[in-house]
Amino acid sequence: MVDIVLFQGLETSAAEGKIFSGSLSNFFSAPDARAAKPLCRKKGILLHVSSCEIDEGDLLELARAGGALVFSLSDILSESGFRRAILLSKMRLALAACRKRGTSFVFATLAKDANELRSAREISAFAAVLGMSDVERKGAEKKLLSLTGGKVGK
Amino acid sequence: MKPTERFKRRYISFSLSLSDKPPAYNEAKEIVHSHFLSFFGESGVSSLAFKLVKYDAISGRGILRCERSRTDEAIFCMACLAGWKGAIARIKPLSTSGTIKRL
Repeated sequence: MVDIVLFQGLETSAAEGKIFSGSLSNFFSAPDARAAKPLCRKKGILLHVSSCEIDEGDLLELARAGGALVFSLSDILSESGFRRAILLSKMRLALAACRKRGTSFVFATLAKDANELRSAREISAFAAVLGMSDVERKGAEKKLLSLTGGKVGK
Repeated sequence: MKPTERFKRRYISFSLSLSDKPPAYNEAKEIVHSHFLSFFGESGVSSLAFKLVKYDAISGRGILRCERSRTDEAIFCMACLAGWKGAIARIKPLSTSGTIKRL
């Protein structure tokens, strides 16, 4: 399973299946919906919105451009308590909006350091908790592989 | 209770580390129990049928039980642990099985 990370310098064994976000020309991260708006029209991008708030119109633009919304596990790890619950709710709402607008979605850890790395099983469990079905999960994995162009660390 | 009426179980083997070292049994029990309690709440832990079955303080490996249909939630809960009292903590799920013997 492919994963996107935000840091370099992994050991060879740990780097397998990991892609550094800096090596991807189509990966963009926005702090909120307002910053994400102009990015949605770019073709074939991987868009990560930290606040998990994005307009449905922008999701439609993203779908038309062939991009995908990224759900990040490290956003959950950096929060705790009620804020974590609120973020999970926002992710679920964003997922429902993606389904409604036909926008592709992918999931990754976006780990900022080695301690935030998680196994494929845990990422899959994250997707299941958000409400993705098995078919959607497999589709998301394929989409991530196609959008990253196979630039996987070996 | 009839076998068909009992809740269906899944056992998850895990590896626990606190600052890259396996913690002692009492501390491990506290970490796992309080983390699951804060994640699921009292009602959630009850419906999850959660139980720490075994833990070996030397290897840092243990087995916990959960309800079969909520395995993904239990694994996600384990993945959500990043720290404990200022130290880096990690519960890494290793495998799942319907019986303890097969783990």
